[in-house]
Amino acid sequence: MLKVKAGDLDRMGLLYERHHRALYGFLFYMTGQRESSEDMVQNVFYRMLKYRHTFSGEGEFRTWMYHLARNVLKDQVKKTKKTGHQVEISEWEERIGGGTPADKEFHRRQEMKALQHAMSQLNAESREVLVLSRYQELKYGEIARILDISEGAVKLRVHRAIGQLKSIYFKHENQEASR
Amino acid sequence: MKCENYKEQLTHWLNNQLTGIDRVAFETHLSQCPECRQELSGSREVWELMGKIPAPEPSDKMRVRFDAMLDTYKAAVEEKEGLLKNVTGGLRQGWFFRPVFQWTYTVVLVLIGLGFGYLFTKGRPSSGDTKEIAALSQQVQEMKQMMLLSLLENPSAAERIRAVGYTSEIRTVSKQVAEALLTTLNNDPNVNVRLLTLEALANLARDPHVREGLVQSITRQESPLVQSAMADVMVKLQEKRSIAPFRELLQQKDLNDLIRSKIEQSITQII
Repeated sequence: MLKVKAGDLDRMGLLYERHHRALYGFLFYMTGQRESSEDMVQNVFYRMLKYRHTFSGEGEFRTWMYHLARNVLKDQVKKTKKTGHQVEISEWEERIGGGTPADKEFHRRQEMKALQHAMSQLNAESREVLVLSRYQELKYGEIARILDISEGAVKLRVHRAIGQLKSIYFKHENQEASR
Repeated sequence: MKCENYKEQLTHWLNNQLTGIDRVAFETHLSQCPECRQELSGSREVWELMGKIPAPEPSDKMRVRFDAMLDTYKAAVEEKEGLLKNVTGGLRQGWFFRPVFQWTYTVVLVLIGLGFGYLFTKGRPSSGDTKEIAALSQQVQEMKQMMLLSLLENPSAAERIRAVGYTSEIRTVSKQVAEALLTTLNNDPNVNVRLLTLEALANLARDPHVREGLVQSITRQESPLVQSAMADVMVKLQEKRSIAPFRELLQQKDLNDLIRSKIEQSITQII
């Protein structure tokens, strides 16, 4: 990134190749929307170019990337506050559904569907730490830097988020079972 | 450590973020505590299920879009730099600093200055000011005349000389001042004062009153220096009326020989 900052814009292609998957994953898990996640990835990389002078070189590029991504996400949420949530759930379900699976397979899909539903029920703050630690596989220290909070606070958030997720998930599953 | 604390660590254990001693301690506790194991199984189920949610694949067109965006951006940046180069190049070639432009700048600046000056003077009510200034200078003149009159009566010769000096600073000498100067010329005990007074009065000789006073003063002068100066003044003024008093002076027996010859010479020059 420092090379990009120095004016070597071709290096940006390399950075894209390395990071766009993770970034897309983060945005998708956060929103559950494929189209707009792609838009946002595009947006994040555009901001990297535009604000390349703000990258100090201290701290990791990845941290900076998530900083930008979170800002883009915030803007996006503001834009689609009303419709966002609805689309979210439907698209997640669409991703899991489809095909005529065997019983076992079907059961697993059901579970995943329930979990994803639970995930979408979480508030953004909890979902964020879960996505960052579970899917992006970031260390607590790095998450702390991205969110600009202490490592202890990250631990607490992750713990709480898991607790919330568990309770939503199992409640939902019990409801399903009692039907 | 309490069981409660281990429950918190449970998440981090799943997350593979427990290190060294903490990890060992937690695992030991787990093997002894069924409640925690129970807790763990629930969390683990959720945690592992989370891992099974398929990671979405971004579509191929994303890369295409990114490349397009990057190219556009690069082109924009280059264009910007190109423009900057043009401007700096222009500066380097001295385009802005050619003599023609320098002259133009100068003329424009001067015009602006004049414009401002005009505006400022225009905006000011000038007639009132000049009246005020006239009144003030009138006051100063009057004060100087007063000073002159009072200083002429000063016992110190030096002060009286100063007073005579004021006449050159007074534009219009009043009758009173002229009278005082003539009195000084006739009666002052100091020769130097009388000489300077004569000089001062010679400058005021346009006034017929002063002229007459001077003529009448000729016979009153006894100092050869003043008499000589008087002769010079009369020649300069070409005052015909002075001939009679001068002839009268020549009648005096104790007149200095040098002065006598000078007066005779002067008379011929006046005629």
